[in-house]
Amino acid sequence: MPASHHPPPGQEEEIPLGQRLFDNVWLLLVLGLVIMFALFTGWGLWEILTLPPATLP
Amino acid sequence: MNSATFRVCPMTGRRVDAQAEALVRVNAVVSIVALLVGAIAAVLIVLTRWQAVHLLPAEWYYRLLGVHGMSMLIFFIIFFEMAVLHFASTVLLDARMAAPRLGWFSFWLMVLGALMVEWLMWTGKADVLFTSYPPLKAHPLFYLGIILFAVGALIVTGIFFYNLVVAKRERTYEGSLPLVVYGAVTAAIIAVITLLHGAIIYIPTFLWSLGLMPMDPEIYRLIWWALGHSSQQINVAAMVAIWYMLGALTIGAVVLNEKVSRSAFVLYVLFISMASAHHLLVDPGMGPAWKVVNTSYFMYMAVLASMIHGFTVPAGMEMGQRLRGYTQGLFGWLRKAPWGDPGFSSLVFSVVVFGFVGGITGVTIGTEQINIIVHNTLRSPGHFHATVVSGTAMAFMGATYYLIPLIFRKRVAFWGLAKIQPYLFAGGMLVFTIFMTFAGSFGVPRRHWDISFSQAPFDVQFNPVVDLLLAIMALGGLTAAVGAFAFIAIAVVSVFFGKPIGELVPGVAVVGVPQGLTHPPRHAANVDELNEQFHNTPSRLGPAPGTMVLVFVFLAAFVVYFFVNWKILSGVWKIG
Amino acid sequence: MPTAQSDTHTGLESPRGIWWRPAHRAEKTWVAIAFAWCMVLFAMMPLWHLKGNQNPSGIRRRVEPAAFYRRTQEFIKQYQVGDDRGMPIVAPPPGSEVYLMAQTFMWTPILKLEQGKEYTLHLSSLDVNHGFSLYPVNVNFQILPGYDYGLRVTPTASGDFRIICNEFCGIGHHTMVGRVIVVDSAGQEVVFRGGNHE
Repeated sequence: MPASHHPPPGQEEEIPLGQRLFDNVWLLLVLGLVIMFALFTGWGLWEILTLPPATLP
Repeated sequence: MNSATFRVCPMTGRRVDAQAEALVRVNAVVSIVALLVGAIAAVLIVLTRWQAVHLLPAEWYYRLLGVHGMSMLIFFIIFFEMAVLHFASTVLLDARMAAPRLGWFSFWLMVLGALMVEWLMWTGKADVLFTSYPPLKAHPLFYLGIILFAVGALIVTGIFFYNLVVAKRERTYEGSLPLVVYGAVTAAIIAVITLLHGAIIYIPTFLWSLGLMPMDPEIYRLIWWALGHSSQQINVAAMVAIWYMLGALTIGAVVLNEKVSRSAFVLYVLFISMASAHHLLVDPGMGPAWKVVNTSYFMYMAVLASMIHGFTVPAGMEMGQRLRGYTQGLFGWLRKAPWGDPGFSSLVFSVVVFGFVGGITGVTIGTEQINIIVHNTLRSPGHFHATVVSGTAMAFMGATYYLIPLIFRKRVAFWGLAKIQPYLFAGGMLVFTIFMTFAGSFGVPRRHWDISFSQAPFDVQFNPVVDLLLAIMALGGLTAAVGAFAFIAIAVVSVFFGKPIGELVPGVAVVGVPQGLTHPPRHAANVDELNEQFHNTPSRLGPAPGTMVLVFVFLAAFVVYFFVNWKILSGVWKIG
Repeated sequence: MPTAQSDTHTGLESPRGIWWRPAHRAEKTWVAIAFAWCMVLFAMMPLWHLKGNQNPSGIRRRVEPAAFYRRTQEFIKQYQVGDDRGMPIVAPPPGSEVYLMAQTFMWTPILKLEQGKEYTLHLSSLDVNHGFSLYPVNVNFQILPGYDYGLRVTPTASGDFRIICNEFCGIGHHTMVGRVIVVDSAGQEVVFRGGNHE
């Protein structure tokens, strides 16, 4: 809803945690890197490096 | 201490840093040069895949296929994105370019790298295609050129973040970043993910090409695609940011809900790069759990993000129109929209073709099992020409029509041609992608010089309809190429020989200036009241009913396409 | 542009104050439906592993190309039944381990299989990446040197199939075609459109 939401001057409302988190570019950068390096790159490398040798039955 | 000089834009009132403007210009110009190289290669390639024409000999087909991929997916798109990053972190925040010398250094580094790579490809020293999979090996300078280019781009993303820090410190804007800049932040973060993986793979591969270390082909593919696909996700984020920007400029599109749109960008940041896995679904190196978790962008959370933007972008456009009086029926807002403004038509085609064709095919062929009937057939390039070309490139073209008057301060040349250019390009690409995809469903391979298999030991006879499909695909491709060359001619002539824009009188149309600048879409003084009224509508379809109908049509198409593919899959050999 | 004092704004403007607010009911509805669809999309993959017949799981191993070459030669020797223009035709018994090697620019050997029977098909490359594309069935797998992709396959139709290489492997890439013959349960070969038979 686009209802106007301006506190009277001198009475600042606390910015919600969600807004502050979303505004935190560094947090987003770190999370983006960590999630990708863990779930894609790290796990992927682990899969490849732990492949057993073929027995060629 | 800064010695930045600014001008004030007479059209938007924004402060424009001179260095930022110069950097935007050079990156944009170089990106168009790369687009030209890629487009020439495209024409020659499509005339070869059209078997009846079969223009190039094998060696040149494979060579130019590599040139096409590299010039388009890397040089054209990334140089343009550098322009976007410089623009979004300065002009859109009334802020200064905080590290101009570094900006120039990285630009020239990227140009050097690009020239090295193009030279080696054209001279046959890197006939390894854009993906350069080891054990195929190129000349070491090929890898070095890419590394230099990537380092330059990584520096620019660093400058982007530094500009944001300085802008915040110098309080050039109040509150949160505008949504368009937030989208650019998303693109920049994904760029860091991309380029770090690029460094991790290209530096060892460079050393391998010198004979200094081994290179495992599966590890290469894993890390390379973290670069290769994530670079396309930079494109998605930049494209969506430009959607919001073009919507605002052309028809005063509004943001329905910041929390919703920003949530979608956050989901992109967190999860979209994982889907690089969809290139590796039928690879032997990784297991099903890894494939399922990653190809799903973590349970399709990044697809949810795209479906959110797929609603909020058109809905914001619809509201922008309705709030300015275009309230007739479900689609009056769309019918009465400025279809003669090439910025607007590019925006709409980008959203529609990306969503309906690119998005739906992409999610479907990126499921672990359906990929079995898709991998390395023409369905792959059929999909990605609907996303990165009909989506991102189209959006970038649309933005250019506003960039030319705003940043280059010239009128758009060949205005009559410019108005139809988006239709030519989008129409051509639509035919191209659909018929390429259709041919791929018959098993026609990608990256293949001759599907008549005239030189093969065993004959392969494709269904005769395939020849027809490839011919129509080629005609679509050639039409799109005409649209691309038209765009390039318009851009180059405007920038270098165009009439100066002069002074605009609001409300007076000028040839070569899009209507969003001569008739800026202004909202009424009581726009908040009007917005509230629309939001209080009793209609179940909400304040943007036209968009609501469109997204449900989209969803229906998605559901049908998705399950039809599972049905087709169920009919092939049992494999496990 | 909306006026400086309005709440309604475009994506080019900074939102004023607190923008972390609930969405309109229509937006929430769309997001909920989109989320539900995403859950369906996700569920299909594990579901197909449980109930579906086509999964790229396979038995995946590392292998030395030289060792895979030797094993394939043994396999050919053991089950060869003929040849086609010099390429051995090999008819392994149902349920057995089958070896197919890719190299620039050929597929070795020609396989002769029985419809409806399961085989474990080992795919690997002796040199660079190749793409296994079985035509006109249209199933596709990536083949890498150093990796043995063991896929349990059951042909569902008889015919004379082709293996197209669909991963660029060099200048002869488009000449790289292999052959798979599938006989039906009566032991009859069906000449499939575009095929040769011995």
